[in-house]
Formats: sequence, structure tokens, C-alpha cells
Amino acid sequence: MTRQISRRQFLKAAGIGAAAAAVLTGCGPESRYIVREPYTRMPEYTYNGLSTYYASTCRECPAGCGIVVRTEQGRALKVEGNPNNPINYGKTCARGQVALQGLYNPDRIRKPVRQVGRGSQQYSDITWDEAIKVVQAALQENQPGQVAFMLGMVPDHLFDLVSELCVALSAPPPIRFGAHEIFDARRTLSKAMEQLFSARAFPYFDLANADVTFSFGANLFETYLSPVAFSRGFAQMRRGITGRRGYLVQFESRLSQTAAVADEWLPVTPGTEALVALVMGRLVAEIRGSAVPNAYIGVSVENAASASGVAATDLQRLANIFASASSPLAIPGGSALGSSNGLEAAQAVLALDVLAGNLGKPGGLFLSPTTPVLPELPQLPNTLAEVNDLVQRMQAGEVKTLFIHGINPVFELPAALGFAPALAKVPQVISFASFPDETSLQADYILPDHTGLESWGYQKAIGGADRVVISGFQPVVAPFYSTRATADILLAAVQAIGGDLATALPYQDEVEYVQNSLLSLVTLDGFFNAPEIKTFMARFQQFGGWWSTQPQLDTPAGVSALDQPLSASAASFDGSGEFYLFPFMSPIFGDGSGANKPWLQETPDPTTTVMWNSWVEINLEKAKLLGLEDDDVVKIISPYGEIEASVYRYPAIRPDMIAIPFGQGHTAYGRYAQGRGVNPANLFSLKINGADDLAFVATKVSLEKTGRKRVLSRLESKLGVYGE
Amino acid sequence: MNKPGWIGQIEVGNPFNEASLYKWGMVIDQDLCTGCQACVTACAMENNTSFVGEADAGYGRTMHWLHIERFWDGVYPNVKLTSYQPLLCQHCERAPCEPVCPVFASVHSLSQKTNLQVYNRCVGTRYCANNCPYQVREFNWRDYAPPEPLPNMFHPDVTVRRRGVMEKCTFCLQRLLQAEDKASAEGRVLADGEVITACAQACPTGAIVFGRLDDPESQVSHLRTDGRAAVLLEELGTLPSITYLKGGSSYGRNR
Repeated sequence: MTRQISRRQFLKAAGIGAAAAAVLTGCGPESRYIVREPYTRMPEYTYNGLSTYYASTCRECPAGCGIVVRTEQGRALKVEGNPNNPINYGKTCARGQVALQGLYNPDRIRKPVRQVGRGSQQYSDITWDEAIKVVQAALQENQPGQVAFMLGMVPDHLFDLVSELCVALSAPPPIRFGAHEIFDARRTLSKAMEQLFSARAFPYFDLANADVTFSFGANLFETYLSPVAFSRGFAQMRRGITGRRGYLVQFESRLSQTAAVADEWLPVTPGTEALVALVMGRLVAEIRGSAVPNAYIGVSVENAASASGVAATDLQRLANIFASASSPLAIPGGSALGSSNGLEAAQAVLALDVLAGNLGKPGGLFLSPTTPVLPELPQLPNTLAEVNDLVQRMQAGEVKTLFIHGINPVFELPAALGFAPALAKVPQVISFASFPDETSLQADYILPDHTGLESWGYQKAIGGADRVVISGFQPVVAPFYSTRATADILLAAVQAIGGDLATALPYQDEVEYVQNSLLSLVTLDGFFNAPEIKTFMARFQQFGGWWSTQPQLDTPAGVSALDQPLSASAASFDGSGEFYLFPFMSPIFGDGSGANKPWLQETPDPTTTVMWNSWVEINLEKAKLLGLEDDDVVKIISPYGEIEASVYRYPAIRPDMIAIPFGQGHTAYGRYAQGRGVNPANLFSLKINGADDLAFVATKVSLEKTGRKRVLSRLESKLGVYGE
Repeated sequence: MNKPGWIGQIEVGNPFNEASLYKWGMVIDQDLCTGCQACVTACAMENNTSFVGEADAGYGRTMHWLHIERFWDGVYPNVKLTSYQPLLCQHCERAPCEPVCPVFASVHSLSQKTNLQVYNRCVGTRYCANNCPYQVREFNWRDYAPPEPLPNMFHPDVTVRRRGVMEKCTFCLQRLLQAEDKASAEGRVLADGEVITACAQACPTGAIVFGRLDDPESQVSHLRTDGRAAVLLEELGTLPSITYLKGGSSYGRNR
């Protein structure tokens, strides 16, 4: 009997057959594969020669990551990480990658100039010989106390040289500062270490081997101390040495990039991080059944919960997580240190490490080793209070010549500090800036230093590696313009002055000074060894620095650290506005020196995806109440100043707070930076914390609508529906 | 069994042999990604990618070959960002961008098993970008030549693209070819990790892993068997060369 085939079945079968035929006859995707012929190579298939690689050090932030720069035909092409350097082990951050756009920036100052009238941008060219004579006269004709140096946080060798120069001149020591000190508060951290452990050493947090980490405001992956090192440590922690995935908890008022990556984010009331850390200590001690140490006598869960806004149940739950961890770690940083009670916060958080019993254990708290290179010189920057002293001296007319290198104080310092008006009182300002930034435009002479990739030097890295690391700079390309190393200028002036000064600083040039400073390393056992300094220097260049072969971390003495009661006073705030002001360092622009690099401008912010501008973050629901939409321009008013910025309705920020990134808002600094965004430093109060660092989360501001709109360029709008 | 000097159909050391041993691929562990954008800038620096300026960036015309996606999830205070997800050309084996190109500018490389964009064929129809489900193709809406002396940093091994041309991630083809040719000249096979893309090289957490999918012993092959592994829009059948490992927990993680 023949089988009946319905019309439907017939069409179905025919369709399947047609589809199969399409595949078999080669009309399917297989036909899209091509076979390339040798003579039709795309440009990508040719390469023009071999590259030469030079090891050096990144100068975009103070962390001192090792880099290897690929060059071809004398041009630097690509920054790659130095796989041997124990800080970053071959990795880089976004800022390091774009360092080339500083080297080849179209707005560089190309030769030494005298500015005809400050801020006029009318320059007359001078020769380098004349420049050296100007420096020589400034050093020679002023009284020692009338000369002042202001230096940035990189590079270290210049700071060391200027420190020696100031001693020889019997001038006050150089002031060293930068926005990285404001937002990282290294001095607060080191003072807390000193008070708890009587140790004059910087802490090292072994994030890699911890299994539970509580971060109190530390922006580990953005800018804090050594972000690439912390990122690597975090990856190791998440992977888990023992197979258990590490758990990261972030206490911060706003969801930062680190908080976004963390497993839990707790939006604490600003300034209550210290209290949360203390109550956490008390709860952990109770859970463990041990006697509650004296340190935690004054704290109660109820008070902490109501002050911080973290529910008591959450506190209890988190304390359980911390107490049951095998290697718990607590890290203070960022906004916790930048509160008016920042020193107490640092102590309370470090005390948590003591309580956890992780001192000197894997995954715990260690003391960084002291550097063998000129250990007598300070490695940490100055505090804001010390910077303020300099500003007062300038204001009083006591400073006749101010040398500025590696810092842009007019931009980076809080406007309320009055640096700009004080600068106007200084008769002679000599800047070594590579770019026409806000400060160098107020200088009489601009004697441009090389950029980082054209320079010699070293950086005594701190906080990132578990051992001594001296990252080395060397020029990866010949200087692109008629620039000269600042160290060479100073040494040439010293030689020209002669006498005792020349005897005290008997160096021909920068390289000789670097070599002399590194002499102490030759006899030490390190990543490489050399019989004498010449070979040592050759290898130092080849490997991009020197570091120990083994970790060299000391254990803090924490026996009595918890015996004294710790306090957590209420943080105080200036101003009477409705909102706490939460400034944070832009993960992309850092201290603002990244803003003149166009690719950094076009790199989206990790949390908001905004490019090329500043914004002000306002809680989504709060914005609804206030009738604010995205891109509405609002005026932000603090007792110290006001700025205008576009609103970004941010879902993850406290409703009583607004946040503004620091890094944009340049009024100079080249075509890519100038006139872009706003600088929140104009709003800061000058409150300092217990360690004399700036309390940058200590201002309350109010908002005013302007009725205008300025659209922010964001990456995310592209990913949604067009025109959304 | 391989003939001496041959591996399968490939004669080792023969420069005219266009077919290749390798199938390149990538695994991205979203549990490790911190969204730091190092890969984004590393890609731009390696591949001479143009920046477009604020206005064009606002129109979504940025030339990011690699961008990082994240989404908001929840309402304050129980709000978080989803795991950061670096998104780049997925180098699909069945690439939707390829059949729609009228001029064969979007083609598949037999050698590297990657998806190529031939710039000098491209006439700018943008069909490929419209057909790409991952939105990772970038079109040069203008000539974005940067001012002197910025072009000094341009990589001589990578073409500079001009207006009207589509471009996208190439898996750092210039690096692959140089390494393949070197290994071929030395009569050997590339070792795992011997060549990696600029993004994988920069990634501070090692979230991006690049290597040979055809080698069962390579790190990417191992990671692809992780319980957290997924490919994007798998239901489209594009067979991407990039695998993502889900973030947020260790559930399903290979021990």
C-alpha cells in the first residue's frame, strides 16, 4: 500500500532537502573562508622590521610600575609591563598605556622660555645656558631661606637630589606633595602604623593570600597606593589559594569601581568608617569568645548601626564572616582616611588586623621594608599642613624664588588654600613643567624637563611589592624636543657656583647622581648581581631596576596595640548644605595629569562610562524628588566656592550625598584638557585629619538648578536604544 | 601519525603554506575583571585606533575595538553593578557580519580562524555592523587624523584607517603573524602563551586569557571547560571564539 503524503508533509520534507543542499553545495558559511595568496598580503601581514625594547618605569603615578617600551626607528610605539618587576609583574593600568600620548603630546613645551608677564602666554626664547644662569643666580643671590622647592611624588631621584641640595644650601627641605597624597593619605596611614605598632614603616597588605577582605574606602583598583599590585593581589584572592574564593567587602558611601567589583557594598554614612571598624572588632572578639580588648570598650552595636546606617543584623553577619575567615584582612583607605577623623579610622581598621591575628601571616598586615637607597631621606610626601606652611611663607613674601617640578599645585591643591594668590607674591617662579599647565602659566621661566619616557632616574616604590624595589628610569627614545633634565640644570648651576656647594654635590650630571645613589645596592643580593657599579648600572638599565629576590616583610609588633581604648569621634563637616560632598580621584585621570591625553579622555569612566567631561553623581531617587534629569547642569555651592556640572543620576550613592570626580576642570594644560569639566578642589574645606592630611570628605554643599542642560558623552547610551 | 616536518596538513617551515595549525581564542573571567579599562587603552595604543572627540563620542561613534559593559541591577541600597564584561569582536566561526558584505571586506581567515576586515575592500555599507549581534564593529565616520606629533606613536605594523571604513578587533593579528612566522622559521609550533593580544597582556588581574583553542592542553582550552563558561548569544549559533566565565560566585568553578 502506498503511503499517503499530505501536502504539509511534502513541503516540510522539501524544505529540509533544500536546506541540506544549500550546505552541501557550498552556499553556506564555508564558502566565506578565503585562502590568502602570498602576494596579496594585507598590511597587517607585513611587518617592517624588528622592534627594540627598553625597560623603564611608568611615571604616571607614584606606584613605580616597571614598563618595557617597544620602539622602532627611534620612536616609542607601545608601553608594555615589565614581567620581572615585582610591583606589576608585566601588567599595566590604563594610565600607563597612554603615557605615549604625553611624550608625543602636541601641546608640550618644546624649549626653555621666559614668560613675558605671568599668565600672558607670551614667551621669549632663551638658551639653556641662559636658563642655567637664571637658576644659578636664584640659588646664589637669595638667602637660603628664600629659596623653596615644590616637587611632585615622582621621580624619587630628583627629590633625593634636591633634598641634598637644600641641605648644602641650608635651605628648608623641599616640599613634596600631589593629589595622590590628598586622596591616598599615605601620611595618615603611616602615622596610624606608628601609633599602633611604634613602627616607622609603611604597611603592606597581603591581599593575595587573604580569604576575606574588608576594605574601608580603599580604592584598590583605581588609584590607591599601587593599583596594579592590588589588582593582581585581588585576582589571586578571588581565585583562592586554597580553592576557596576570596570575599571582598567594601565600606564606602558611594559605589566606586572597587565597590562594584566587591562581593558586598555597604553605603556607610561618611565619616563613620572608624566606628564601623571598631564595632566590627568588638563583634568579632565576642564571636570568638575571647575577652573584648580594651580598644573596644566604648563601642556599642546600636550606636554604630544608627550612626553608620548599616543595619545591626548586617554588622553581625559581616562580623561572622570576618571571624570565621582563615585569613581575614582589613584595609583602610580613600574616604575613610579623608574624613576629619581619618587617623582614628586608620587606627580602627588596622586594629581589626591585630584582632584578626593576621600580623605577619600570609594574607595579613606586614611592614614594608625600608629602602637601602638613601634611607635617611623621607620617602613619604609632606602633609597638607606642611604645604600650608609653605603657602603662608609665600604669602608673607618670605620666598623669593620658587622652583616647581612634577606637581601642578594651582590645580591639585584646594583652592581655599590660596596657593594661586600666594604664588603671585613670589618674585620669581621657575617651573620645570613639560606642559603649559595652570601652574607653569604663572611662572616666569619654564625650563621643560624631559617627559618620563625620555628620562633617567629611579623610583623607590612603596606599598605595592613585598620586597625592596628600586624601579629604574631610562630614556627609551632620544628627547623629542629641546628639553633638559631638571637634575642636570640644577647640577650645572651648582657647578657654576662652585665652592662648598660644588664640593657637597660633586656630580657631573643626573646619570652620575643616580649611579652614586645606587652604589649601596651593588653589594646586596638582588635580582641580578654585579661586581662593580658600571656593570650594575648596565643591568639596572637592562632589567628596568633592582629588587630583592625574596620577600622581605617584617611583622608589626601588635602585642599591646589593642590595650588602649580606641576612639571614633564623630566626623565634622564644614558648610550647611543638604549634601555631603564626596570627591574621588578619577580612575582614569588620576591627579589630573592624565587629562591632556586624548585617549584617556575617550576612555569611559568604569562606573558611569562618561567620557571627555566631569559629572556630578546624585542618587536616582533623590534626583527624582528634586526634579533633576540626566545632563541637567547644577550649581554646587560650598562655603569655599561653587562649580557647575552636569547631573549623572547614579543609582548607587547615598541620597544625602553627591560625588564629583577629581581630575578634570583644567583651565590650561593643552587642547585636550583645557575647559573640560570641573575641579571639585574648588569646593574643599581645609579641614585636616589627625595626621595633618586633608580631610577631603568634610564639606557639605547645596545644589541649585541652573535650568541649562549640557549633555554628557557616555559609552552606555550607545549600548541601549538610540535616542534613549 | 604526522610525516616528519609535517603536522597534519601543515608543512612546518613552509612560508607559502597559508593554512595554519592554529585556532586562536580567548577566555574572559568576569569574576576577576575589575573594569579598570587597561585593556581598552592597551588595544587603542596597539592598533592605532583613533579618538573621536566629545561630540562624536556622545553619538556613539567611538572607535573602541574593545569596550567594557556593565549594567545596573537593583534599587538603592540593594543595588550593584553586574560583573564587568569586556566586549570585543567574538571572532565567530559562523560570523553574521560575513555573508552580508557585498564586497568581501568582512571575511574569514583560514589561517588564524579569525574574522578579518579588509580595509581596502571596505566601501562603508555598514551592513556588517548592523548585522553584528555583539555591536563591536566601529565605523570611521570621519577622518580622525590626530595632530602632529601624535602620529609618531603609530605602530608601523598596523594600518591607519580612514573615513568610510569599518574596523574592529583583529585579535592583534600583527602579533600573531609575527609569532607564527618566527615559529615556522624555527621549525616549531608556537607554545601556549608565547603570543598574546595587547588586552590580555595589559590585564592586571589576568582576567583575559588568550591562546590556542585547537590545543587541548592550552590554558584557554582548560578554561573553556569551566562550569561557569558561556558564550554570548549562544542561541544565534555564531560559534564565538571568546568564552566568558560568569562572575559573582565560584559556583561551577573548575578545581
